[in-house]
Amino acid sequence: MSLKPKIVEFVDVWPRLRCIAESVITLTKVERSVWNTSFSDVYTLCVAQPEPMADRLYGETKHFLEQHVQEMLAKKVLIDGECSHSNGGPDLLQRYYTTWMEYSQGIKYLHQLYIYLNQQHIKKQKITDTESFYGNLSSDAAEQMEIGELGLDIWRLYMIEYLSSELVRHILEGIAADRASNGTLDHHRVQIINGVIHSFVEVQDYKKTGSLKLYQELFEGPMLEASGAYYTDEANKLLHRCSVSEYMQEVIRILEYEGRRAQKFLHVSSLPKLRKECEEKFINDRLGFIYSECREMVSEERRQDLRNMYIVLKPIPDNLKSELITTFLDHIKSEGLQTVSALKGENIHIAFVENMLKVHQKYQELIADVFENDSLFLSALDKACASVINRRPTERQPCRSAEYVAKYCDTLLKKSKTCEAEIDQKLTNNITIFKYIEDKDVYQKFYSRLLAKRLIHEQSQSMDAEEGMINRLKQACGYEFTNKLHRMFTDISVSTDLNNKFNTHLKDSNVDLGINLAIKVLQAGAWPLGSTQVIPFAVPQEFEKSIKMFEDYYHKLFSGRKLTWLHHMCHGELKLSHLKKSYIVTMQTYQMAIILLFETCDSLSCREIQNTLQLNNETFQKHMQPIIESKLLNASSENLAGETRIELNLDYTNKRTKFKISSALQKETPQEVEHTINSVDEDRKLFLQAAIVRIMKARKVLKHNALIQEVLSLSKVSFTPNIAMIKKCVESLIDKQYIERTANSGDEYSYMA
Amino acid sequence: MADDPENSVDRTTDDGDASKPEKMFTLKKWNAVAMWSWDVECDICAICRVQVMDSCLRCQADNKRDVMGRQDCVVVWGECNHSFHHCCMSLWVKQNNRCPLCQQEWSIQRMGK
Repeated sequence: MSLKPKIVEFVDVWPRLRCIAESVITLTKVERSVWNTSFSDVYTLCVAQPEPMADRLYGETKHFLEQHVQEMLAKKVLIDGECSHSNGGPDLLQRYYTTWMEYSQGIKYLHQLYIYLNQQHIKKQKITDTESFYGNLSSDAAEQMEIGELGLDIWRLYMIEYLSSELVRHILEGIAADRASNGTLDHHRVQIINGVIHSFVEVQDYKKTGSLKLYQELFEGPMLEASGAYYTDEANKLLHRCSVSEYMQEVIRILEYEGRRAQKFLHVSSLPKLRKECEEKFINDRLGFIYSECREMVSEERRQDLRNMYIVLKPIPDNLKSELITTFLDHIKSEGLQTVSALKGENIHIAFVENMLKVHQKYQELIADVFENDSLFLSALDKACASVINRRPTERQPCRSAEYVAKYCDTLLKKSKTCEAEIDQKLTNNITIFKYIEDKDVYQKFYSRLLAKRLIHEQSQSMDAEEGMINRLKQACGYEFTNKLHRMFTDISVSTDLNNKFNTHLKDSNVDLGINLAIKVLQAGAWPLGSTQVIPFAVPQEFEKSIKMFEDYYHKLFSGRKLTWLHHMCHGELKLSHLKKSYIVTMQTYQMAIILLFETCDSLSCREIQNTLQLNNETFQKHMQPIIESKLLNASSENLAGETRIELNLDYTNKRTKFKISSALQKETPQEVEHTINSVDEDRKLFLQAAIVRIMKARKVLKHNALIQEVLSLSKVSFTPNIAMIKKCVESLIDKQYIERTANSGDEYSYMA
Repeated sequence: MADDPENSVDRTTDDGDASKPEKMFTLKKWNAVAMWSWDVECDICAICRVQVMDSCLRCQADNKRDVMGRQDCVVVWGECNHSFHHCCMSLWVKQNNRCPLCQQEWSIQRMGK
């Protein structure tokens, strides 16, 4: 074959080519040599001399295809009208499908045959992608398409346009039949329907944009509408015969079936649309019904129903789910309130935390099991717990949760028989509850006081556990929150070191103090020791040597420090040898001092004791009382003051040779609790004022509301201040001339340097 | 007494023997608690207005870690007996080598440890 252009007559070549084209498109066997000849015929025509005949070839081919499609429509698709179907012969869908399968394959081959025309002649004039993208070319009717595309377009024009309504009707009938038979439609039939539906897509597949337009307009719209009507109908039927719980099960089943059905028949682009339609009709439109038993399901915790309800409600917008969530929230709240409100007695703090934890764990587990850990439900749990934990019993009473939780920690960290792993676990759990507390500063106050007591009186179960807890708090609330706790903790370990060194020092210098001395040195400022007013006290000479030795040693070790002895927190052991048996008694320093006075005489008046020891009335009575109660000393009157005589009880006996005089100090008094709470309020005011000044210094000018917001976000870590308190602080700062109201606006402040 | 050592020895042994049962109360153990603070006249550092027992503002902002229970932020005394955070003062003297309170030439008398 020569590639050289030559002079040819169109009429000589075309009939031969047309004949082959017909064979190709009807999938009739074509010899390779014939195929090759035709291929070169196309070439020859396209490059013919003197004028290329490509346009003419295109025109004739187009005409041929139009004719062919029309012929197929008449002869193969429309034969016998509808009657053949009733005879069991192929119906319209089947015939259309068969014809389409043939044609769509044939046109692909024909496209190959015309490849020279396609590539050399037509592609050149085709609009480029960018041009079509910007749409600046009006789609020219005369524009030539590649043969494959042309064939598909002709199919659309002459076949689909003509048959569309009939086809769609048949398809919908087919889908309806599948629904009616519960998806057991004959496989072959499914294939046909699927093929027909996809032909609407394939026929436009070559288009770069809007290739689904035909499918959507022609089929998808009516299909969704019909499905919608079917769903509504089904929903109505279900409503009549089902309970809510059955209805939800049914809906889940239907959704699944419809999903599979859609996959079986439809183009992928329709799947989400159909699903949405289905949800709309079965769920959104029936929300009232679904919710009608919501309260019961939640309060009885019917897990299967709740699970179903979650599955059913999951796809719909969040705001529509709110009813389930609110009901759930209320349920947790009421259960929480129930478990914590009736608490009474000594161990209220333990019950409070453990009950609350039970509630929290139970619902956390339920959310994981039933609601797939959905964040909406988790936040409902958080809200419910926070509102139970921060609830005030009445408007006037303060919320005591912070106190309870702190005391709970104290119980855990105090010496007990519980094993360490369990304590550790409980402390970790405790943090869960702690996080819900709004008044974290109150917690901190209580915690630090209890920690101080544990450390000073050596009641801690283990120092590791103490440190672990402080670290947990640090993790939850930050460095500043635990700064002082940490300093307290390290003071104790430093003191232990110091004692060891001191004892070595004593040994090295051959001094024997005769007593077992253990001294804790605390740093001022870090410990919540109340007002650290030093109670006047004439230290008995028995102690003096120890004190002096230690102070000397301490000052050698550190410079610039002064030591203040906190005698009210010291205690020791005294050996009593004046009785038949000897006893070792643990008591406070003041008590030791009192008893030591009886070394030289058997009877003293209260006044004498007080004068010798320089004790004030309050301290004297507080410490004298337990000694009288222990019967080591006898008093001539109940009034422990003035001339009342105190006598050594020489007939004292006790089965135990080692015991302790209970001290008034270690028990927490209601006044102390109140004092703690009041001091929190003072701290809050200072914190807020500092925060306001800091914010204003940075911003210079700020609106009232913006300022409040910033203050709130700053204080969030440790507490939630009420707005009135913030306002008061603003007022007092205006009085102190830190800030002022701006001249032109009432609700704006500016910083005064 | 020095003239009569035997006598004195005797007496002590007598005393010792007699005092042992006579001593009615003996201190066995003492768990004492003391608090230390900087030995300063004024509790507040005049430069940063924070208590000298706490670390200075700068150190607090930097969240400096404790070193053996004590933050690095120690106190310094000048010859004039005024005291400040050492951190605050070392910044101050870069600008002005005088005590901020009394305007005397600043020289360190001692440092807290």
